[in-house]
Amino acid sequence: MMACLEFRRRVGAEPAAAEAGVLEHRRDCPACARYQDELRAMDALIERALKVSLPAKPQEPVEAPADASRRRLLAIAASLVAGTAVGIVLLLSAPRASIAREVIGHIRHEPGTMDTTAPLTPAALAQVLDPDGTRLRPDVGDVTFAARCIFDGRVVPHLVVRTPGGPVTVLMLRHRTISEPFHIDEQGYEGVVMPAPKGSIAIVGQGIANLDAVAQKVFDAVDWGR
Amino acid sequence: MNRADGDTDRRRRFGTLCESLRPDLLRFAWWLARDRGVAEDVVQESMLRAWKSFDSLTDESKAKAWLLTIVRRELARTYEKKRPELADVDALIAAESAALAAPEDERVEEMRSAIFRLEEDYREPLVMQVLLGYSTKEIAEMMGMQQGAVLTRLFRARAQLRQQLGLAPEAAP
Repeated sequence: MMACLEFRRRVGAEPAAAEAGVLEHRRDCPACARYQDELRAMDALIERALKVSLPAKPQEPVEAPADASRRRLLAIAASLVAGTAVGIVLLLSAPRASIAREVIGHIRHEPGTMDTTAPLTPAALAQVLDPDGTRLRPDVGDVTFAARCIFDGRVVPHLVVRTPGGPVTVLMLRHRTISEPFHIDEQGYEGVVMPAPKGSIAIVGQGIANLDAVAQKVFDAVDWGR
Repeated sequence: MNRADGDTDRRRRFGTLCESLRPDLLRFAWWLARDRGVAEDVVQESMLRAWKSFDSLTDESKAKAWLLTIVRRELARTYEKKRPELADVDALIAAESAALAAPEDERVEEMRSAIFRLEEDYREPLVMQVLLGYSTKEIAEMMGMQQGAVLTRLFRARAQLRQQLGLAPEAAP
């Protein structure tokens, strides 16, 4: 039969152990059985303790750039030129440049997405939008790509919608708040980033006729939910 | 299905995997790094690396272990590049107090601080076992150790936690 010391070493490493030798020892040794019960209770506490809540970082202040190095640079710039017009221009333009760069970088990193042609099923689209409680009205156009992508360290819905003006990439950036819309015109891509009820939304395409109207139509088709 | 649509499916599968596994991976990295910023950076970089080699994952039921291995490597790389100064655990606890807090149950908060104080050699297998649900055999494989060594570390981890919490740490009856 398993000795007490062996039993305690065994369950000390795996309190849930329940093989025949462990069960047999428990039956014949109430003290060791209590010890294992104590360890199991402690493991339940350990599990609760390990499940820390690590929610998304507090939302960046309006117009703050995303990563630490840019924050530091901006802080240095702001301290040097505080109160001057140059400082104001930097503060206002940095986040726009940051968002634009990241949006275009993301699209360029996934070039094939704009060439997708097969409309997704409503179920496939819901799989991407449901986690955020978001909906997209179908009359906006066929959605030919939908994925939850890593963007700026967050998981965001990334869609390609075939609008009458052409295919546009839509990124729902719930974590990026902006105060007013702005245009992107970089590397052959044109788009609009608009404030949304939850963060912002970027709508970008190539050679889209009447981009602002297309963007507004896409924006209006989004139900941001809860 | 054209190539772009195939790519769509691939991205969707990866996104779904990331979303479901990220919370535990972030917790794992946080318990190891004991620093929220480092943990987030490590997990983000790991996800990028995972995406680049997603094709090498032939069995998606093994995605969790695959991603965990990437996170462990990324943590190791991070600390190779930037060797942390000797950790002042009290300062770490103060810095991460928001995540350690458990106003609904002070025993949980005490336990969190106690786990924070464990040496990494003991903390890591404990997190892998209790939080991530790995067997000692799987932990041994991932850590490149003998199973017996993992059992010893887990035993010592719990003994130290019992000691910190004022319970008898002795294994002897």
